[in-house]
Amino acid sequence: MIVKAQDFTAFLIKCQQESIGGFEQVIVPRKSGKPEEKQTVFEEIKPDTQPVFHSFRTIDPLRTLFYFSRETLLPADKTRKRLIVGAKACDIAAMQILDRALINDDFIDPVYKAWRDKTTIISADCLDVGESCHCTLVDGKPYVTQNYDMNLSKVGDSFLINVGSKKGEELVKLLQEHSTLVQAKGDEKDRVKKDRKDVEAKLNKINANFKRSGDYANLRKSDIEGWIDDQKKCVGCGGCTNICPTCYCIIINDDSNDKEFIKVRTTDSCQLHGYARVAGGDSPRQKMYQRFRNRYLCKFDYMKSNFDTIGCTGCGRCIDVCAGEIDFREVVQKHLQTPKGQE
Amino acid sequence: MTDKNSYEVTAAEIYEIIEESPTIRTLRLKPEKPIPFKTGQFVELTIPNIGEGPFTPSSSHNIADTMDITIMKTGFVTEHVHKAKVGDRVGIRGPMGTHYPIDEWKGKDVLIMGGGVGMAPTRSLFLSLLDNINDYKSITFLAGARTPADMIYKQHIDGWRKIDKVNFLRSVDRVPEGEVWDEEVCLITKLLDKISIDPKGNPVVVCGPPVMMKFGTMDLLNYGYEENNIYLSMEKKMYCGIGHCRHCVIGKYYACKDGPVFTYDTIKNEENIWE
Repeated sequence: MIVKAQDFTAFLIKCQQESIGGFEQVIVPRKSGKPEEKQTVFEEIKPDTQPVFHSFRTIDPLRTLFYFSRETLLPADKTRKRLIVGAKACDIAAMQILDRALINDDFIDPVYKAWRDKTTIISADCLDVGESCHCTLVDGKPYVTQNYDMNLSKVGDSFLINVGSKKGEELVKLLQEHSTLVQAKGDEKDRVKKDRKDVEAKLNKINANFKRSGDYANLRKSDIEGWIDDQKKCVGCGGCTNICPTCYCIIINDDSNDKEFIKVRTTDSCQLHGYARVAGGDSPRQKMYQRFRNRYLCKFDYMKSNFDTIGCTGCGRCIDVCAGEIDFREVVQKHLQTPKGQE
Repeated sequence: MTDKNSYEVTAAEIYEIIEESPTIRTLRLKPEKPIPFKTGQFVELTIPNIGEGPFTPSSSHNIADTMDITIMKTGFVTEHVHKAKVGDRVGIRGPMGTHYPIDEWKGKDVLIMGGGVGMAPTRSLFLSLLDNINDYKSITFLAGARTPADMIYKQHIDGWRKIDKVNFLRSVDRVPEGEVWDEEVCLITKLLDKISIDPKGNPVVVCGPPVMMKFGTMDLLNYGYEENNIYLSMEKKMYCGIGHCRHCVIGKYYACKDGPVFTYDTIKNEENIWE
């Protein structure tokens, strides 16, 4: 099905203003600031918002809209029905990891689950790439193939709609009530296919210097000296983990008083010095290089064991944010290539 | 999946406090509703207005309507544990994590090594075993502390030693001037020389400071214990207790969810396990 872009935006604004379909908030990407900048950020839609659906991923990861930096777990914070539009495949893939971590058979993060349940996500193909984008290096694509509610592919001044879930089906019905949808003819699909190929080619070009075997087991075997060298530029600020779409480390703060028990979670980072310190003062990973290396092992080794998928979806945000200008891709590349040759 | 909030807290009242050593005390708690647990599991204890920390009960798991927790003063929350008074209200989340498979140990010689405040969780195990002492061939407890004053549970020792099939040995690292001690003066691991147990097929439990865990495990391997029969209580920074905060990870394992009770063969290939 096809919808005119301007009709679609008008629908979103109406959803926000009149709570159509029960949606209490509609969030879209918009330009981050200067007109010449390509970066975008998520924001609640306003009547004059010009959403940017088909650029590359936003500055802020989708995670931060489901797992805020501070939320009360007991009693659980209230959530509301939301529509998030313009999410990218790298962020959608990351949500699958968070789902496995935070909504599993054993334990559930009550607030994260509530946000997940109450949010419909509309993804959008990337028609542009950022300098640090590298989803194709980690078996990803610049468009969704699974786990989305609804997807938008740009065709001229319209969007080709694909539905991926029950929530998506319901949303299409709602959209039909408020906009004009026409059937896709066929050549739109060819156009989308071509665009997708072109963007993949762009990604391959900017990442031509990096090759991945997919066997990340070598990371663990890689020489410690190399890690010590790599972390020299790291200032240990934790920016990389705070902006990563799959990092979910938290502290549980206790705000209990004499009347009730209150548990609050706040974001933490494994890059910070006191992260794992235990009572008595012992601390695994006292040295910066140990914490630096831990992030790579967590992404490619531990998360693989825990969730059956690596914890990097190739969004490249950690490269953009790094105060020491460390390129994550280069570090992975180097340590995949230099196993020390002994167990 | 459960609809219950994983962070739910049960209120409990402190009904007695026992000063075990200058830095260690036992809180005796009466929760609003029983908290059944299996020995080896831990709970998150909330001191309202202050904070929360993971502790393993030191009472038998056959008792659910009260709970003892023995706590050393070592940080911010535990300082306030040591300021708490009888009648104070605290909170308990849990129980969490894995437990000692004591049903599989029936008919065996069980060895327990508890160093310092590591005697606390192992006392829970010890008392749980005592409840069904006839099921086990023998129970040997090796207890260690830095000095005689640091040795906890002194008031119980004579009673425990009278129990048939129980062998309870204690050592201190040193005896400062003015203190009296007529038992062993050595590292806890040296007590292994004083016992004779067939290590093959028998379980041993180690709990104590990291350095004792490390050298204790090495000595037990030398003694002939099998890797899959050495049970380690790996206490890390277990903030959430439910595998969400990641602070306690030991490589691919969560100390809170996959542990805290691990057999040595499970974690021996992970990095920095003793740190």
